[in-house]
Amino acid sequence: MTTKQVPLATRPPRLKFAIGGAVVAVAILGLISWAMGRPGSTSFYMTIAELQAEGPSGVAGAYRVNGNVVPGSLEQQGIETSFAISDGAARLDITTRQPLPDAFSTAYENDPAAVEVVAEGRYDGQKLTATKVLAKCPSKFKTQA
Amino acid sequence: MPLQVQDSGLTGPLGSLGSLGRPALLAALAFALIGLTLCALGAARDRRDLAAAGIRAVVATAAFVAFATFCLLTAFFAHDFSLDYVASYSSRSLTGPYTLTALWGGVEGSLLLWTFLLTVFAAIALTRAPARRSALVAWAGAVLCGISIFFLVLLAVPANPFAALASVPADGQGLNPLLQSPGMLIHPPLLYTGFVGFSIPFAFCIAALITRRLDDSWLRATRRWTLFAWSALSVGIVLGGAWAYTELGWGGYWAWDPVENASFMPWLTATAFLHSVVIQEKRRMLKVWNVSLILLTYVLAVFGTFLTRSGILSSIHTFAEGDTGKWFLPYLAVMLLGGLVLIGSRLDSLRSENRFDSLLSRESAFLANNVLFVAAGFAVLWGTVYPIVNEAFSGVRLSVGPPFFNRVFAPIGLALVALAGIGPLISWRRMSKGTFARVARPPALAGVAAVIVLAAGGVRSIGALLALGISVFTAAAIVGEFARGSRVHRRREGSTWPESLRRTLTRNRRRYGGYIVHLGIVLMVIGFSGNAFKVERSAELAPNESMTVGAYSLTYVDHSSASTPEKEINEAVIAVSRGGERIATLRPQRNFHIAQRQTQSEVAIRTTPAEDLYLVVTSFDADATIVLRSFVNPLTWWIWAGAAVMLAGMAVLLWAPAPQAVPGPAPVRVRRTEVATR
Repeated sequence: MTTKQVPLATRPPRLKFAIGGAVVAVAILGLISWAMGRPGSTSFYMTIAELQAEGPSGVAGAYRVNGNVVPGSLEQQGIETSFAISDGAARLDITTRQPLPDAFSTAYENDPAAVEVVAEGRYDGQKLTATKVLAKCPSKFKTQA
Repeated sequence: MPLQVQDSGLTGPLGSLGSLGRPALLAALAFALIGLTLCALGAARDRRDLAAAGIRAVVATAAFVAFATFCLLTAFFAHDFSLDYVASYSSRSLTGPYTLTALWGGVEGSLLLWTFLLTVFAAIALTRAPARRSALVAWAGAVLCGISIFFLVLLAVPANPFAALASVPADGQGLNPLLQSPGMLIHPPLLYTGFVGFSIPFAFCIAALITRRLDDSWLRATRRWTLFAWSALSVGIVLGGAWAYTELGWGGYWAWDPVENASFMPWLTATAFLHSVVIQEKRRMLKVWNVSLILLTYVLAVFGTFLTRSGILSSIHTFAEGDTGKWFLPYLAVMLLGGLVLIGSRLDSLRSENRFDSLLSRESAFLANNVLFVAAGFAVLWGTVYPIVNEAFSGVRLSVGPPFFNRVFAPIGLALVALAGIGPLISWRRMSKGTFARVARPPALAGVAAVIVLAAGGVRSIGALLALGISVFTAAAIVGEFARGSRVHRRREGSTWPESLRRTLTRNRRRYGGYIVHLGIVLMVIGFSGNAFKVERSAELAPNESMTVGAYSLTYVDHSSASTPEKEINEAVIAVSRGGERIATLRPQRNFHIAQRQTQSEVAIRTTPAEDLYLVVTSFDADATIVLRSFVNPLTWWIWAGAAVMLAGMAVLLWAPAPQAVPGPAPVRVRRTEVATR
C-alpha cells in the first residue's frame, strides 16, 4: 500500500473526531469527579473545637487538625506513639503507629511547647488515630517532612 | 565593604567577593534593559544593527549574572558570614561539595541560580540561533530580556542574596542535613535547567506570534532547547524521586506533594508539546495547539516556582519565607493573558494546512496522546489548587491526598503507555482496520500471554495485571519496530543484525530515540506497578530481637555509636535472612546533626530487580532499643533501570540533527521502509 492510492480526504471525519473528543473529555471529567469523591482523596481541616463538635468521622473523609503539642504528653509504647495537642483552649489526644517526622522529634527536644503539628486521620469521638503527622518546624529550615 | 579575607577564616585562594555581587546584578539589570530596548527597536524598525547590539547586551547581562553567582560562591567557600544568606545556609563545618548546594539552599540563591541559567541560556540561544539576524531572533531576544528583567528586579528588591548582616556571626547556621546529599547536588539545578530551559522555546514562540512567522521555523530553531529542557526536567524529577526514596525514609519516591506536582505539571504539558510538534512538522497541523502548549508549559514552570516560594499551599517542602511569592502572581498573569491575547490575534495565521483524514491514523494517536497528557496536567493542577479554590469559595479548608492522584493517574497513565505501543504500529493519514489488526496482533498476544502467566503465578491485583499486560504489549510493539527496521536494513544491505540495528538507530535517531525513551517509560511503569504489592511492618526491637517482613526475617544483632564534628551517629546492625539463610547485613542509622540540632534517619536498602528491602530506624533509645520500620518494595529497581534507558533515549534524541525544512505544501514523508513493510 502506498499513500498515493489512498483517496485524499473525501469527507473529513469531523463528526467522528468531535464525538471522540467529547467522549474523552466526559470520561476524564467523570474520572476526576469520581476520584475526588472516593474515601481518602480529601481530608478536611478542622480546629480542635470543630472536630469535637462534629463527632466521629464518617466514611467519606479523614480530618486534619493542627495545634501545639502539650509539653510532657509525648509517650511511646512500642511502635505506638501518643501525644496531645492544644489550641490554647481545647485539648485533643492523638495516637499514631506511624513514625513521627524527624522535625517533630527535633523540635520537641529543643522546645516542647513550640512544636506545631498537623495530624490527619480518623476521630472516634475521643481521640484521633492519625495516619499522618506533619511537623511545622519552627526553625527556618522548612524543607523537612 | 572590605573583602572578608582575614576575619572570616579564608579557605580558598580568592577570598570573598561578596561585596561585588550586588553591583554586578545591578549592572546585569541595566544591560537587560538596554538589551530589551535594542532588540525591540531593532525588530520593530527592521534595524539589524540594533538587534545585533541588543543580543550583545544579552551576552553582557549573562556575563554579569555569572560573575554575581561566582561572587556568592566565593562568599560561601570563604565563609563570609557578613552576608545574611551565607550565614543562614552554611557553616564552617560544611564540607566541600555541599558548600555548593548551599548556593540553592534558600530562596535568594535559588533565584540567583535561576537567573544565571536563564541569562546564559538566552545568550547561547540567541548567538547560536539559525538565521541569527532575523526579526524572529530579535523579538525572542526582547522577550528573553523582559523575562530576565523580572528576575533581576526580584534579586534587586525582595530577594537580595547579597544582603549584609549588621553584626557578623562567628559561625553560620549550617545547611539542612536533608540538603547534604549527593541527590541535592544535582536535583535542584536539573529542575531549574528544565524550568528555565522552556523560556527559550517560549520566547521564540512569542516572537513567532509577533512576527506572524508561524511556519515551523521557530520550532526548528528551538527543538534542541525543548528537548534539552525536557530531558533535564525528566532526569531532575526522577532524581528527586530517588533522593526522596533514599533520604526521607518514608519508603516512597513520590508523594503527590504540591512541590512535586509543580515540577510534574510543566513536564506533562512539555511532553504533550514534544509530541504535537511532530504533527506540525510532518503535517503542518495543530499550530494553535502548539503555541498554547508552550505558553502553558512556561506559565506552569513559573507557577511551580510561585507555589514553592509563596507558602500559599502547605507542603512538606514549602519554604514559607520572604514575600517573593506575591511578585510572581502579576508576572504570571501578564505572561498568561498576554500570551493568550497574542494567540487570539494571530488565529488567522495559525490555521492548519491539512486536515485529519481518519480516526485510525498516527495523527489521531498523537492527538489522543496530547489530549491525555493535557488532561493529566489538568488533573494534577485540579488536585493541587483545589484546596485554595475551595477555601476561597466555600471557606472550607481541605487537602487533596495521594489517593486522588493515584486514582486519576493510573487509568490515564496506562492509556498513554498503551498509545506508545499503538502509535508506532499505525501509519500516517489512514490505515484500514484489517491492516491494523494484523500488525497489532503479535504485541497484543504478548501482553495477553503476560497477563495469563502472571495470573497463573498468583498475581491477583487487577490494576497490576492491567499495568503489566499493557507494559508488555507496548514493549513488544517497540521491540517489533526495531526488529522491523533492522530487517529492512539487513535485507537491503546484507549487514549483520547488530550492524542493521545500529543503522536503524542512526538513520532515524529522532524516531528510534523516541522509542527508546518509551521503552524506558514502560520499564518505569512496571516498577510503579510494584506498589500494589508493597508490604510494611514496624516493630520495637531490643538487641537480639527479631521481626519479619514479607519473606525476610530481620534480627537486630548489634549497634554502634560514633561522633564526628557534624553529627552523632547511631547505627543499628540488622541481620537479614530469608528461608533460614542469612543473605545480608543492613546498617540503618539514626543521627543527630549538631549544628542544626536535628535528628535524621539514614535508610538502609537492599536492592534486587525483584524487590527492595528498605529499613529505617525511627527511634533509637538510650538503652539501644530501636523502632524499626521495614518495607518490602517490589519492582522498585525497574524504575531506576527504566530511567537509565530513558536517559539513553534522550542522548540519542539530543544527538539527532535538527530537522530540516520540508518543501511543498503538504509534506507527508512516508519513508520507503514504512511503505515496504506495511
